[in-house]
Amino acid sequence: MPIDEKERLQARIRRIGAGDVVLVRPGVTSESLTSHIAGVILQPNVPLFWLTMFGIGIIALCMFVIAVAILLDVGIGELGTNIPVGWAFPIANYVWWIEIAVGGSLLSSILHLTNQKWRNSINRIAEAVTLAGIMCASLYPVLHLGRAWIFYWTLPYPNTLTIQPNFRSPLIWDVFGIFTYAAASVLFWYLDMIPDLAAVRDRAENRIAYLIFGVLALGWQGSSKQWRMQEKGSLLLAGILTPLVFTVHTVVSFDFAIALVPGWHSTIFPPYFVDGAILAGISMVSMITIALRSAFSFENIITDQHLNNLGKIILTTSVFLFYIYCFDSFTNWYGGNPYEQYTDRFRVFGNYAWVFWTFVAFGIAAPQLLWWKRNRTDPRALFVISLLVVIGMWEERYMLMVVSLSHDFMPSAWANFAATAEDNALLYGSCGLFLAMVFLLVRLFPMVPLHSVRQLLPHAQNGGAIE
Amino acid sequence: MTRPRPYGMAAEFDDAGALVRAVRKARAAGYRRFETYSPHPIEEIDQVMQHWDMIAPIGFVSALTGGVIGFYMQYFIAADVYPTNIGGRPLNSWQAFVVITFALTVLFGLIAVFGATVFFQGMPSLYHPLFKIPSFRRASSNGYFLCIESWDEQFQPIDTSRFLQSLYPINVWEVDYE
Repeated sequence: MPIDEKERLQARIRRIGAGDVVLVRPGVTSESLTSHIAGVILQPNVPLFWLTMFGIGIIALCMFVIAVAILLDVGIGELGTNIPVGWAFPIANYVWWIEIAVGGSLLSSILHLTNQKWRNSINRIAEAVTLAGIMCASLYPVLHLGRAWIFYWTLPYPNTLTIQPNFRSPLIWDVFGIFTYAAASVLFWYLDMIPDLAAVRDRAENRIAYLIFGVLALGWQGSSKQWRMQEKGSLLLAGILTPLVFTVHTVVSFDFAIALVPGWHSTIFPPYFVDGAILAGISMVSMITIALRSAFSFENIITDQHLNNLGKIILTTSVFLFYIYCFDSFTNWYGGNPYEQYTDRFRVFGNYAWVFWTFVAFGIAAPQLLWWKRNRTDPRALFVISLLVVIGMWEERYMLMVVSLSHDFMPSAWANFAATAEDNALLYGSCGLFLAMVFLLVRLFPMVPLHSVRQLLPHAQNGGAIE
Repeated sequence: MTRPRPYGMAAEFDDAGALVRAVRKARAAGYRRFETYSPHPIEEIDQVMQHWDMIAPIGFVSALTGGVIGFYMQYFIAADVYPTNIGGRPLNSWQAFVVITFALTVLFGLIAVFGATVFFQGMPSLYHPLFKIPSFRRASSNGYFLCIESWDEQFQPIDTSRFLQSLYPINVWEVDYE
């Protein structure tokens, strides 16, 4: 086939493939896009919405700092954690924040490898959610240690005590898993951002901003060689990050599945945790995306089509979660283990039944509204449903910890759990840390990957190949 | 005293199509040492330009190294430095070591891929001769540049400048090193 003919055919296929999907509204040019995004960073005045959200975040963060100070001073007796319920709020929060982080990684790895073009415009926002989520999550196991200042004892290093960690314990697997995951997320976020930092550098009129972004952009010129390496490097990193999306939460689920506690000791835990992670993570990404889209008027590059796709992921994972719950109960019934059967009944009808039913209502029933396209493309509806899902998934993690631990094998060892003010301050405070971090990251760095969105613009799609 | 040899001759174009045409014509005219600068990757130019790198092999070797270090660290600690009897299981209980071996394989691999990518991109280098061109700031939003470098065998300041002018660019510059 002559080259011209082939190119014309390829361009035609691209057009058909695009269909009626609008990922970038007409009227957006490379120039307008760059000034819009760089303007957000370089302008000294910020929108009121940003200030409000950042302010709320900082206030809650202050509460968090005070709560942590009290925890370190007094000790973990301040928490509601008791003897059968040794893992309560801190570990539920930890698992929940890691879940939220995983949603962003899904967008930047698997959807990158499968060439889903719609991820381009919301990728950076999702990665901000990931980074902030990891920051919140990694604090809890450390705080929960009791003596947080010697957390580095969990790492293998030559020491005068001549003690070393036990590598047969899933808890130590977690240390390495989370550390690798955090490193992967930061490197991927930065590598993908270098060309956009250069775009901000080239727009900066202020000398200080020019210097800061000049150094951060590492001297990016945009040569064909750099673009080639950029694409190759980010594809390889996406490939490396892909198994991590699954393994991070799989390793977290091992913390539970490898124990013998009824309600935990189950082989379905890895897929169940990963699915719950994608559900909660994508819901958080939708919330932040919807908020930023209206605050910075990104309607022309984050269209209803993006919300529609996010809604579909939430719907799919919630249906799958329902299946996993049914399957788990079936196994417990069919397996005939009285302790597992009791835990199942206690979950649904026991002291903590309201936690279970909140989870069912918020995490499984609410997303079913997304079967209707009207709800998927309506930002307000999607926001509310995502918020319910995020709350529901927290209830679900709480249920997992408390229901199983409070009523295990021996009735003489049973005890109930009640959260203290310290527990609540740590939970809501970490939401403040998350909000402040996400809003800081989108203010200081380009919040839309300019170079990938440019490739969606009409003139770039042809690449000028058709003469 | 003769003028120092320039870095090259650069021309700016106003869209990706013009740049692709210019690259094809430069290639046909016998130029080999040239580079394009654009705000986004262009597939057609990628097919013309030859770039060599070792990102994937470096990442692979580093990942393998990470895996070996990861497993050996655990074996060494669990079986030699700090042996513990956990329910009578063998000291080299390798099944339990798989997770950390995997984590360190990935960690070493991704750090190497990141480092190699930045290295083969020629970064960090905060200065580049083309930054002297006043409108080069546009290369990160909507400017498309072609620079024929002075170590090309055919490079002659006057001829090359005339050739670039014949491609209907927005502007042509002689780029100096300093």
